[in-house]
Amino acid sequence: MASFDVVNYSLRPSKSIQRQIVFDGVRTLQSHLDLDRLVYVGFGSIWFTDFVMAHKLLGIDDMVSIEGDEIGYSRAVFNSPYSTVRVRNGLSSNVLPTLYNDDLIRRRPWMIWLDYDREFDETLRDDTRSVIENAPANTVLIITFSGNEMRYGQANDRPDRLRELFGDVVPDELAKRACKDDRMQETLANLGIDFMKSVAAELARPGGFVPAFRVIYKDTAPMVTVGGLLPTRGATRVASDVVNGADWKCFPAKPIIAPHLTIRETAVLQSLLPSARSLSRPQVQSLGFDLNDEQIKAFEKYYREYPAFAQIIA
Amino acid sequence: MVAIDKDSKAGANPTKAFFVKMITRDITLEDSILDLIDNSVDGAWRSEGSRPMSLADDTDLSAYRISITASPERFSIKDNCGGMTLDDAVNYAFSFGRRAAEEHDEYSIGVYGIGMKRAVFKLGTDISIRSTYQDDDGTRLPFAVPIIVADWLESDDPPWDFDIVDDEALDEDGVDIVVNSLTPGAETSFGSPAFLQNLRRTIGRDYSLHLNRGLKIFVNDTAVSGAQIELRQSDEFAPMRVIYEDQQGDEQVTVEIIGGMAALPPESIEPDEGDEGDKRFGWYVACNGRIVLAADKSDVSGWGTEDWPQWHRQYSGFIGIILFTAANAEVLPLTTTKRSIEVSSVVFRRARPRMREVSKQWIAYTNARKQALVEAKRKEAAAIAVPIYAVERRDSATLPELIARPLERVANVNYSVPVSRLKKLAKEFGRISMPYREVGLKSFDYAYEDVVGDE
Repeated sequence: MASFDVVNYSLRPSKSIQRQIVFDGVRTLQSHLDLDRLVYVGFGSIWFTDFVMAHKLLGIDDMVSIEGDEIGYSRAVFNSPYSTVRVRNGLSSNVLPTLYNDDLIRRRPWMIWLDYDREFDETLRDDTRSVIENAPANTVLIITFSGNEMRYGQANDRPDRLRELFGDVVPDELAKRACKDDRMQETLANLGIDFMKSVAAELARPGGFVPAFRVIYKDTAPMVTVGGLLPTRGATRVASDVVNGADWKCFPAKPIIAPHLTIRETAVLQSLLPSARSLSRPQVQSLGFDLNDEQIKAFEKYYREYPAFAQIIA
Repeated sequence: MVAIDKDSKAGANPTKAFFVKMITRDITLEDSILDLIDNSVDGAWRSEGSRPMSLADDTDLSAYRISITASPERFSIKDNCGGMTLDDAVNYAFSFGRRAAEEHDEYSIGVYGIGMKRAVFKLGTDISIRSTYQDDDGTRLPFAVPIIVADWLESDDPPWDFDIVDDEALDEDGVDIVVNSLTPGAETSFGSPAFLQNLRRTIGRDYSLHLNRGLKIFVNDTAVSGAQIELRQSDEFAPMRVIYEDQQGDEQVTVEIIGGMAALPPESIEPDEGDEGDKRFGWYVACNGRIVLAADKSDVSGWGTEDWPQWHRQYSGFIGIILFTAANAEVLPLTTTKRSIEVSSVVFRRARPRMREVSKQWIAYTNARKQALVEAKRKEAAAIAVPIYAVERRDSATLPELIARPLERVANVNYSVPVSRLKKLAKEFGRISMPYREVGLKSFDYAYEDVVGDE
């Protein structure tokens, strides 16, 4: 059963916050680099949340959504939000090569977000390599995958499994305890970035790969988002300065684990922010409800990106 | 008709640019870095009194440290191995090729006098070499050799000297090389995490003998661990280990040969995608303690030459190591890049029959075991791993005699399934990285028990 039968995407607050952070990051890149006539490529499913954001926030018109499931495809075509969105039926590994040769988009920079629900596997690795090797200059590549440790085998087997997937970048000394609990997501994020850098270097892609996104988030399952820019040689320095600057928000130090709040709770909490002093639990309780300290900290940090239900309706 | 001016000459003067191109051309970036490490290691040896590095040796190198940092912006290698003397710098380290009347360091590995220059030119164009050493009465003497390649290239007139300038003393006696303005190749490679991990692996393998004696090598602040070479021993399995003295001209060379089973032979000889394969097996050759040929399966170490079969995956599990030790490094069987063996070397050729003998013993064993697999596996599993320096002397390897049993007729099953499905099944069978072949066999057994039942 595909996940759109089970989950309504718009009700995952951590995912929404992560999405907002990533898109805000790309908007910042747009103002510093020549990301002219950007194209968006992704897995829109039937909700197209990211496509709507690409159009509204980044001003992107031409977009491609890839949908592998047959029924999903029919529904996706029906639900396609804008006239310039094309939906392609097929697995990403089959559709991507056709896009590298597509006359409308092959000479323009892409924002391509391969947002998988499943764990990093051979297919995702091959897709990632394929994009780094073939995508146009100044492409922004982002991948998201499950960081759930159980999907990578028993604890003892995980280092070997990661070696199978990520290859030479995996240190020989990778410890089993680095593949457990929340360290697993950190390890996956680091290996993901190292892998992308190495593929670009091996290919001697002029301009290389500039890591720009590294976000771990969790609604139910822990997810890992990593990505960066494949700039032209001349743009590497500028891109590097932007993403290493103090204002770049796409390398949050801690995973995003947002509380699920009602509309009333959100509004009332938000009205206390921004605040010079951190919100305290007694303060929240005096509003009439309760949250734990972690939840309060998370909301305070991300209240600007916290989803308002109205914002995701196309 | 144009008269030829008999005084005209065909110009044969070398240009600096040509030299730089030639010496950097046939060496890889990784090998260049290993050349710099060789110089540091030689420094450590000199400081320890220049003794031979054989397996029996118990020299402690734990006082010595080599730190390498590599990023797309700069490269540096810094050691505390005693430093290069001013005399070295003036007369030897910076000339292109060794001067004939040269005193060589005993038991060194830097034999052709070209390693450091080649390496720094390969790395970049803004080079600083600093050294602090102690002279005979214990005074600490620092100096530096800065090289801005663009400036140096401006004139081809001899002499092709580099300036030696005064400098502040380093914290410890040693050498500190810093290269900025990296070449494009170096810049790209140092930005690749895979390159850096592989560099660490190569260092761990090629300097394993030194690392296991305490030498510390760091790459970007992370210590490199020495690879361990171990061979398996039991009542029925015993590796060969012989040591003898040979001569090349007037010079003495000590030769040590060890060979045997390092790991269990493979389950199958089909190429298996999930498998590490035979990467670490084959012949290793060390010269004055530094491994110059690792896991060789080619005709360089002898496979596929006179009366010696070519390497085949069936032979996985075998490791042989041959160590050449000589006071004068010029008699070691090294090529100019120090990354391979000069197969025409007399000393090497005389050692080959012994190498061939133990290799062929192993080949015979792997052939015989095909007919007695169960018994072979049982005996192999009983053998325990022993580090090579703990292996006892033995003229030839001992391998079990196996009784061949007639082969049952087998059916070979060959089919393809999507990787994702196989991985899911492997995981349920208990190990997500289980080789494909094993998953297939287990699934057959599972279905057999379920459908056919025990008979």
